[in-house]
Amino acid sequence: MNQKLNLSSGPHVRNYWTTRFIMLVVIAALLPATLVGIFVHGLQALWIILAAVIAAVATEFVFDKLTGRKDTWTDCSAALTGLLLALTLSPSVPLYIPILGSVFAIGLVKCCFGGLGKNFINPALAARCFLLISFPNAMTGFLVDGVSAATPMEVLKSGQVVNITRMFLGTSNGVIGGSVLALLIGGMLLWAYDVIHGQICISVLASFTLFIGLFGGQGFDPAFLAAHLCGGGVILGAFFMATDYVTSPVSRLAQTIYGVLIGVLGAMFRIYGHAADSFSYAIIIGNLFTPLIDTYIVSKPYAFRKRALQIHGLVHKKTFFDRFPKPVIAIAIIALVSGLALSGVFSMTKAPIEKQERAKAAAAYQSVIPEASDFSFLEEKVSRFAGEKYGTAFGAVTINEAVEGKDAAGKTVGYAVSVTSKEGYNGDLTYIIGFTGDGTITSITNTVNNETPGKGSLCKEPGFTGQFSGRNVSAFVLNGTGDEGVDGVSGATISSKASVNAINAALDFFRNVVKGGD
Amino acid sequence: MKDTFRGGVHPREHKDLSREEPLRLFHPVGEMVYPLSQHIGKPAKPVVKKNDPVLAGQLIAEADGFVSANVICSCSGRVKAIEKRRTISGALMECIVVENDGQFTPAGDYETRRDLSQLTGEEIKDRVRQAGIVGLGGAGFPTHVKLAPKDPNAIRWVIANGAECEPYLTCNDQLMRTKAREIIEGLELVLRLFPKAEGVVGIEKNKPEAIAAMEAAAAGKERIRVLRLHTKYPQGGEHTLIKVIVGADYPVSKLPADVGCIVDNVGTLYAIQRAVCYGEPLFTHGLTVSGKAVVKPRNFIVPDGTNVRELIEACGGVKEGAVLKKVLAGGPMMGFALSDLDVPVVKTTNGLTMILRDGVEVAERQRTACLRCGRCTTVCPTGLLPELMAEAARREDYDRYENKLHGLECVACGSCSFICPAKRPLTETFKQVKAEILARKRAAQAGGKK
Repeated sequence: MNQKLNLSSGPHVRNYWTTRFIMLVVIAALLPATLVGIFVHGLQALWIILAAVIAAVATEFVFDKLTGRKDTWTDCSAALTGLLLALTLSPSVPLYIPILGSVFAIGLVKCCFGGLGKNFINPALAARCFLLISFPNAMTGFLVDGVSAATPMEVLKSGQVVNITRMFLGTSNGVIGGSVLALLIGGMLLWAYDVIHGQICISVLASFTLFIGLFGGQGFDPAFLAAHLCGGGVILGAFFMATDYVTSPVSRLAQTIYGVLIGVLGAMFRIYGHAADSFSYAIIIGNLFTPLIDTYIVSKPYAFRKRALQIHGLVHKKTFFDRFPKPVIAIAIIALVSGLALSGVFSMTKAPIEKQERAKAAAAYQSVIPEASDFSFLEEKVSRFAGEKYGTAFGAVTINEAVEGKDAAGKTVGYAVSVTSKEGYNGDLTYIIGFTGDGTITSITNTVNNETPGKGSLCKEPGFTGQFSGRNVSAFVLNGTGDEGVDGVSGATISSKASVNAINAALDFFRNVVKGGD
Repeated sequence: MKDTFRGGVHPREHKDLSREEPLRLFHPVGEMVYPLSQHIGKPAKPVVKKNDPVLAGQLIAEADGFVSANVICSCSGRVKAIEKRRTISGALMECIVVENDGQFTPAGDYETRRDLSQLTGEEIKDRVRQAGIVGLGGAGFPTHVKLAPKDPNAIRWVIANGAECEPYLTCNDQLMRTKAREIIEGLELVLRLFPKAEGVVGIEKNKPEAIAAMEAAAAGKERIRVLRLHTKYPQGGEHTLIKVIVGADYPVSKLPADVGCIVDNVGTLYAIQRAVCYGEPLFTHGLTVSGKAVVKPRNFIVPDGTNVRELIEACGGVKEGAVLKKVLAGGPMMGFALSDLDVPVVKTTNGLTMILRDGVEVAERQRTACLRCGRCTTVCPTGLLPELMAEAARREDYDRYENKLHGLECVACGSCSFICPAKRPLTETFKQVKAEILARKRAAQAGGKK
């Protein structure tokens, strides 16, 4: 009994939860979604996940060694970041994408700002945005059976109906962690065991749904709301990203405000923004607000709250307005006003913008059917193919519009078809092709072209477009000979191929749909 | 009525080690040491000299002022010295050292029941003061001060605290099982002072035998009821107990009496009953020796001044081959670690916990940066935001700490440190910051006076 005794301040017993245990619990909660992702998207998904996780842990390990810190890589938080990042990636990305993303997330966003607990935005989301900006094609290319296709979010954005059941189960084309059902199972378990803050999930989802319902243009249609909730990472964001401890506020009220901010921003970006898949940005902006919210919104100890003061007879009786916490009213008003203002601006500018776009389109149509003075849109014929891949032989090509050009006397003088290939070297390539009544091409304009300057950009020059004028064939053959042959732009094989595919699709559409009545 | 408060934690209880051990009266053989300050307030003044003969129950140091308490000798023998000795808190303090003759000859008749029919409230308070009774829950606030609030008619509840929410400790459980009638009588005596008050006995549900015994003893008493409390730490804290009964928290700047409450530990009420009914001053009290390191965990009625090492040896000492990490005065949540075992037990020592696994030592190995997970906020019984407080403390932003975050409301219960997955030393930090802020305020005040 004469051993040396430890001397330290209490409490002398501690709970068994450790940082590593929490991280492992969250990883376990993500396992259902991970497994569904691997099952649906195949082994490639597994490699992406492994690459992201290993790169994340390795980055932290190297950073620990370089800076001589305690081994923080063992706390599993880096592994969690890697896994979260992988779940937000398309299963068709090349392996350098998850690796680069993880290195960025852990090396720059987390470690450079002081490691665990010190990053000011969610590392996985920051890395995702970094990848979106740096590799837009790879990041937004989603393959179904080896062919690139629109994601449900893009389809929803274009006003079409999506298959909610497939989105819910996670079998539609989208990110690896796209299974809403599996994410919900994991998220609910975390919530039930108080690992994540329920008020953040509720306020994000509730405000998002409310805003989409009010300003989404389709009211509170359950199918429409469900499609919005199931897509674009809302569930993953609400349960696993917005609830990230480090980048969310502390007190309950602050967490609610933060959640509402994310929900409203996410919905606004969804409705008014250009990127269909923009929930990540909403969460990052929420993260950026966290220190500010934490500074000003702190809860009082129980003894200083109104209820306690009332019981001790220190304040007056409750009035009507006391029943509602003031900040809630304030947020509701701010959300409503900003929403109304936005939709006001939107509807005010909608008409002029449309007019302008029509004028621009008309100018393009005018250039390919010079004799026409009035255009009528062949919406019926186009709507059947809208937003979808046209045919099977042209790659990822969509028909945008088709017009019939009439002269002042009302006589048809020609047709024009607007067509886009998504398989350009750097995104979309859009052509407008003018036809005479018998299918002879009058001329071609290239309206959208983001290709490499001096190479693919030459597709819009007369040197390329001019060779189609005055010809009447069923399909062109790139670098072919004879009647069908056209020359590509040298050094821009991909652009040329996509262009010819788009033009051939327009030819096919004109012959079979516009003229053929198919 | 709700049976608990918001927040709190549930550490493993370990009460099974000693809960069935009866309270044994302990007879120490070695010298007895009586620190002059075993309570909150001014130290007592010795009334004996070296070589004076003393008896068990004799006054050896009297209260210096109102907020102070008498010190009573617990054995018979001769005063050996009045000198500085190491006490249980680790500090050197003026103590009266008595050579124990092992007879424990009482100074008076503590067996005959006094006639209480003519007893006035003033006499009750006077007997409590004479007996040197202090709060036995751990704080040691002089009880006669507590019993004299400004307005006795404003007191609506007299609360008997039998929650005993600290892990390991079981002496109050045993006391309630065996001395239920006496505790209830002590409560009735206190209720005599407060005509408008109701008596509430708060006991955690993990002590069914104690609840049954207290309910039986309180049966038929109109002004007394037994409240079963949810088993959760810190249910036995003054703030949390009052919160359950009154339905609201109160700031630390206020006393329980300001919100209409008087809270006394069941041990204190038993001492009041002994003092008022039998004239016996406070010189023995309940104490649990428990923990994984000790051979035979026991409950004792132990005389004040007993040597801690002697008490531990009476329980068989440390287990063969076990490495004793810490001996705690009190339980593992709010108790403090002893640096030396040759120190005396004082009035407020209600337990000695001997542990093999030091949570603090393990925690230091597992420590990571704060995750901001918010568990500390969830468990804080006061409704504070410990993670923001720790951040403000780190930046030494004491203005925000005190005025925006109300950090001085912390009662240092240790729940936040207990739950923290990153094993941050939260409670420790808050204790230091509180001391720092109060020191700065005193300095500012002193500067202002000049």
